Amino acid sequence: MYTRKNQRDLTRTEKRRLIDAILKLKRSGRYDDFVVMHREYYVMDTERRPRPAHMTSSFFPWHRQYLLEFEKALQRVDAGVSVPYWDWTQDNRPTSSLWAEDFLGGNGRSGDRRVTTGPFAYAAGNWSVGRGVTDEHYLTRNFGRPGSDPVSLPTKNDLARALKDPVYDTAPWNSVCTEGFRNRVEGWGIRGVRTVGLHNRVHQWVGGPMAGAASPEDPVFWLHHSFIDLLWDRWRKAHPKSAYRPGRKPASPGPDRDYVFGLDDAMPPWRVTPRKLLDHSKVYRYA
Amino acid sequence: MSPTPAKPGGTRIPSRRTVLRGAFTAAVVTGTAGALFPLLDRDPAATARPAPAPGPGAGSGSRATAEEFAEMYRGREIWGTATVVPAGAPADDRVAVAAEPVTEIRIDGRPLHVMRRADGTYLSDVRHYESYPTLLETARAAVDELGTARLAPPAAHHM
Repeated sequence: MYTRKNQRDLTRTEKRRLIDAILKLKRSGRYDDFVVMHREYYVMDTERRPRPAHMTSSFFPWHRQYLLEFEKALQRVDAGVSVPYWDWTQDNRPTSSLWAEDFLGGNGRSGDRRVTTGPFAYAAGNWSVGRGVTDEHYLTRNFGRPGSDPVSLPTKNDLARALKDPVYDTAPWNSVCTEGFRNRVEGWGIRGVRTVGLHNRVHQWVGGPMAGAASPEDPVFWLHHSFIDLLWDRWRKAHPKSAYRPGRKPASPGPDRDYVFGLDDAMPPWRVTPRKLLDHSKVYRYA
Repeated sequence: MSPTPAKPGGTRIPSRRTVLRGAFTAAVVTGTAGALFPLLDRDPAATARPAPAPGPGAGSGSRATAEEFAEMYRGREIWGTATVVPAGAPADDRVAVAAEPVTEIRIDGRPLHVMRRADGTYLSDVRHYESYPTLLETARAAVDELGTARLAPPAAHHM
């Protein structure tokens, strides 16, 4: 049993150990395997194949296992580390200690948006990106994407509204569900209903790789998803009678249900079911 | 309900809207889309050109261009096409293609990987958490997100 802390409560030593473990994982090539894996399982809801990670009910359990795997890899480097969470409703400024020199480094500079501070700055020699999306090898960020179409981080009210929904997910279990906690948090924009929200909005706000198909290339990905994982806990606590949906697969599932993972459907690549992931209290807890 | 396929020689070309209506029909039939919104609620700024006449060998499943553009945007050359196979193709084929039209975007000559959501909107490898009703908007949003960066060359595009 270990604890995942709010990133703002980490000591200087805890931050250094986490960063060192991430850099070692990067050097070994294992980190980039995680980037590739996320891309591989990010299947669209127009595709006629199983979609475990996004635009789907198993958004929460798939990312829970994904984070656990990443955390296990980190812990093989340093058994004392875990993935802290970034509560972006609280630490919502570019001046937050999250973005300091001794942690994740800051926003990209103007012009090429290159991150030039902290351990992931290209010039420090330990971090390169570019797993197939762009030609550049330096990490970029573009907080709030100032210009014609800016984005702000979600607020406590935005979050409260999503947590209030007592239903986990609804048919057709994809990116256009207007009701249900899952798509409210995943945050797909639905024209005429709502704009991009929560999870998706944070990806947009950071910008650079975080906004794209290789989002785990920015290590803030893990801290963001640690918070998303915590939100699933909060929702379950707020709605103890609400179940993960969909449940058992009907005898003749319609096309909506075909590529979606119900409570007892094993998710690739680990063949773990959402049911197995509902309770993580024996593995980790949130502080 | 079936749009008229483009005739060789281009005498009768289906309007973009007609073609899209065909795509929607197929989507409703298969139930892939849970909530449908107008795919194009306004014309893209770039002029949509008539669909090219299908080449030799184009049979019952002839393609029609749903969207096509080429323009300079913030100093970048963007280009894109979306082609839809209208009704008339064999049923299975029609449904599969209608659910995901053949789309292509290039930025400064390099391909941008484009995907489609169940409501018919598009997203790209560069802007992966937000979608747009037209390919043109998708391409412009990718340029905004890229800043001064260039897309990876085609060989490195798919991992």
